[in-house]
Amino acid sequence: MIESFASVQQVLLGGVLLWAAVVKLRKPQAAGRTALKRLVGEKYAVAAYRAVACAELVLGALLVAPPAVAVEAYLGAALGVGMLGYLGYAKLKAPESSCGCLGDKETPVRARGFLRAGVMAAAGVLAAFATAWWPVAIVDRPLATIGLLVAEAALIVALSPELDHRWLLPLRRWRVRLSHPLASRMDVIPLESSVQQLRKSDAFLSVFGQLRSDLLDSWEEGEWRIMTYAARTDAGPATAVFAVPLLDYRPDDVRVALVPEAEEALTRT
Amino acid sequence: MESLDRRKFLSGAVLGTAAVTGVVGASTLGSFAPEAAAAQRKHSVAAGEIDPNFVEGRVISAQKGMLLVTSMDKSMHRIQLTGATSVWKLRPTTADQAKVGDGLYARGVRMADGTLAADAVWLNIVNLTVHITSIGKDVMHLDHHGDRIVGHVVAGTTAAVYNSTPAVSDLSLLQVGKHAQVIGAWRPDTNEVDLATVYAAA
Repeated sequence: MIESFASVQQVLLGGVLLWAAVVKLRKPQAAGRTALKRLVGEKYAVAAYRAVACAELVLGALLVAPPAVAVEAYLGAALGVGMLGYLGYAKLKAPESSCGCLGDKETPVRARGFLRAGVMAAAGVLAAFATAWWPVAIVDRPLATIGLLVAEAALIVALSPELDHRWLLPLRRWRVRLSHPLASRMDVIPLESSVQQLRKSDAFLSVFGQLRSDLLDSWEEGEWRIMTYAARTDAGPATAVFAVPLLDYRPDDVRVALVPEAEEALTRT
Repeated sequence: MESLDRRKFLSGAVLGTAAVTGVVGASTLGSFAPEAAAAQRKHSVAAGEIDPNFVEGRVISAQKGMLLVTSMDKSMHRIQLTGATSVWKLRPTTADQAKVGDGLYARGVRMADGTLAADAVWLNIVNLTVHITSIGKDVMHLDHHGDRIVGHVVAGTTAAVYNSTPAVSDLSLLQVGKHAQVIGAWRPDTNEVDLATVYAAA
């Protein structure tokens, strides 16, 4: 049983490596966003990225093709450990950079990347106990081995932020379409809409040069939203009071009054 | 009570329901042309120069309308808030809402003793281009160039602007995976933002 499971690790490991290699070779310019830029310098980043891809390609092909030799598996595990080291380096020295592992998506190094490298290393160690070439193992125990492979592949995909746009986002989009979590809100006229309307009005533009502050206060008065700004006129400080239609968009109807501060003081006594 | 009376008075002044002397009505204000408005604003700061009438920083002490602020360049500033100072913190609010730790932008007039007499203060305001990675109840998870940000929807305040049309409170057209621009109030020292306005395509 355990030997069969060990044997199919080769195809998992090999498959992921081939996939990683192909993605890297197709878009080598992604190297510019990875921590390789920091590790080997900007000049050699693309070359190093290609070199990693070639190593992955060769090792992936060896793992998938017969015969099953333990040394391939150990190399796979070593690559996984090396990846862990690289991720650690990236996290410490270039936290803003992408992993670059499985595609050119901008994906900063996070826990998922480490877990995935760990899974790869573990699969490599397990693969070293393989006794047969993987198709033989699958034929031997089709249900168990294929089930395991599917589960492991799903785990790798789940741990790959590069692939989120393929399954996670569509899933979330679908969930939001079913029932939008923000749909059942009370219907209020946002202050922002009154501010927009106010800024489009001639009344606002006519006193704009005298306004000193941003919006001071606002309240509703029947069909109007009253909005106040601090202003300065030739006669001294004042309050600019605007009345903006609350329910309609009618910037031409916006009203304004400039109330001198002295006048306000009178009302307070 | 005083503020209620004041509101009533100012409402009357602008709506003409109260006879108030000394108030300048719209008709006597002169030209309504935008050019007239633009002409009244003058820019006294040359390109590349530091604007003495603008301060950016974090509040390190706040008492009695006087804020002490340290800027990114380590300079310290005193900022005076008055009743005529607009204070924004997710929404227009009052000077006593300025708390130690808040991030701040202030515009005003520099006085002889170096204090900035603030005309307008914005607390914790952020303007981010993001994409929406998930939407939950009263919350949106946002990705800002790889940084994860939690955007809190505040009932009655958070507004959406779709395709540059007037702002609405209906957020149900926001979609997962789409780009958006958000204006909000940062919760200091967290990756959380209370959302004021979300600009998106719909």
